[in-house]
Amino acid sequence: MTSIGKPRSRKDLGVSLLYMAPAIILFTLFTFLPFIRATFLSFFIVDRNTFAPAKFFGLGYYARIFNLGSTALGDEYLRSIGTSFSFALMTVPASIVAALALAVLACVKVKYIETFRTIFTTSVAISIASAGVIWALIFSPDVKVTAWILELLRIRSSSLLTDASTALPALAFMTVWTGLGFNFIIMLAGIQAIPRELYESGRIDGANGWKTFRHITLPLLSPTLLFLTIISTISCFLAFTQFKVMIDSVGPNKSTEVFVYAIFNTFWMENNYGFASAMSIVLFAVLLVLSMLQFRFDKKVHYQ
Amino acid sequence: MKKAMLYTLLVLASVGVLFPILFSLSISLQGETVSPRLLPDLKSLDWGVFVSVFRKEPNMGRWILNSFVVSIAVMTGQLVVSALAAYPLATLNFPGKPFFFFFFLATLLVPWESTVIPNYLTIATLHWKDSYQGLIVPFLASGFGIFLLRQSFMTLPKELYEAAVIEGCGRTRYLWSILLPLSRPALATLAIYAFLNTWNQYYWPLLVVDNPVWRTTQVGITAFRSTEIASYNLQMAGTLVVMAPTIFLLFLGQKQLVSGLTSGALKG
Repeated sequence: MTSIGKPRSRKDLGVSLLYMAPAIILFTLFTFLPFIRATFLSFFIVDRNTFAPAKFFGLGYYARIFNLGSTALGDEYLRSIGTSFSFALMTVPASIVAALALAVLACVKVKYIETFRTIFTTSVAISIASAGVIWALIFSPDVKVTAWILELLRIRSSSLLTDASTALPALAFMTVWTGLGFNFIIMLAGIQAIPRELYESGRIDGANGWKTFRHITLPLLSPTLLFLTIISTISCFLAFTQFKVMIDSVGPNKSTEVFVYAIFNTFWMENNYGFASAMSIVLFAVLLVLSMLQFRFDKKVHYQ
Repeated sequence: MKKAMLYTLLVLASVGVLFPILFSLSISLQGETVSPRLLPDLKSLDWGVFVSVFRKEPNMGRWILNSFVVSIAVMTGQLVVSALAAYPLATLNFPGKPFFFFFFLATLLVPWESTVIPNYLTIATLHWKDSYQGLIVPFLASGFGIFLLRQSFMTLPKELYEAAVIEGCGRTRYLWSILLPLSRPALATLAIYAFLNTWNQYYWPLLVVDNPVWRTTQVGITAFRSTEIASYNLQMAGTLVVMAPTIFLLFLGQKQLVSGLTSGALKG
């Protein structure tokens, strides 16, 4: 029998393949082949009944997405990518600041702090769909307090979610809450990983609370902050559920038509499988860039 | 004095974080109304709403059952498939190992949203719409699970394996009676993580379910919301009912979940 560390053996290959077979088969069927099929379909007009490619369309769909055709048909797809970016821009910084504030607060040494920490993680357990149902009501002017706040802020629209200027920020606000639990957990772990001695020596040097935060916590937390920024941007780019549950359309003046929602529309409402596949590949490319950034940076942190 | 201020801050933050849940509870208990208030009338709290929501939406019980069946099946499947795949990656040396390592790593780079169309076509072609297998099978393998368990298996000393082999312990028995019991924390993490994610799924069940009976809780509750019978108090009560299992699980498995999310295996 071969043990660990000994030269690789052919016999071990057979056994290993056997153990890995279920995972290999499942990933092939539901991740890799679908990915190849999506790439393939993106070059064809696809029959909506048989799902078979009917006519070669070349890069036509990609040209349409980026509005590059000889006859410009409109830039709605480019705009939906832009909407996804604005959504991330509204959501990510606020998410980071909120999670950081909670994590710093959760570091105080008082009794029952564990209970408070558990409470701060709650949103991890709550689905975006359920949260969407609740937040849609919170934002509804039928609720007396919301109506009162709207009047106070002189927002004249009938509802936050049906006004083009407030719909996307409202969804961003709700998304900050849904991500808070996860971001808090990572942030707290990041703070707890900072060596205690640094704070001790800071205290001896006469640094006060704000100074230690500014000169010790923040710089040493920067890997965590960068990690969360990339992860949150990715999840903003993939956001779909809250848009489907709370808006269920492209929104007032198309203001909430994010890219994944546009894909859903093309795929589900228009049954245009080829076009929707091309959009999925573009989505993959955008996310790959973000993931690569994260992998690269991850290496740097681990080997420094 | 300083302590009192800290507690005030902590309580305020907790109320802020829990606001949507407290809000939905408050609306649930107010009875049927078209203009709900922030706080209910404490003298006439309507706890019966949690029963009447099951009467008004007869499928609610079935949706909860569906979510339990699907979540437990996916959880069990991911535990088994991940443990089996992680085992050779962590303990054996075989030709082509780097290839398989990258094969599994690459699955983390392909977001589910970019393969959803061909996957839907596959399930539709197999006539797996409106079925448990359509909701379960595509999710039985997890890249996160494989790397989490691999990491956990690798922390156990090689000598343990050598000693077991000398004692005449077969490979599968070594996995089953030594590796797995010693990796309980990682297994618990994966179990909780898989259950939470599956229970909270929305996009996929929305696509592969046409018949209301086959809905899972998340698709069910959002569909219920747009029906005419769903007054605000019933909407909120129904939402609380479908959130209860995962909130309960969070408080129960807090430690495992936190250690898993922070282990770094999730990155990507």
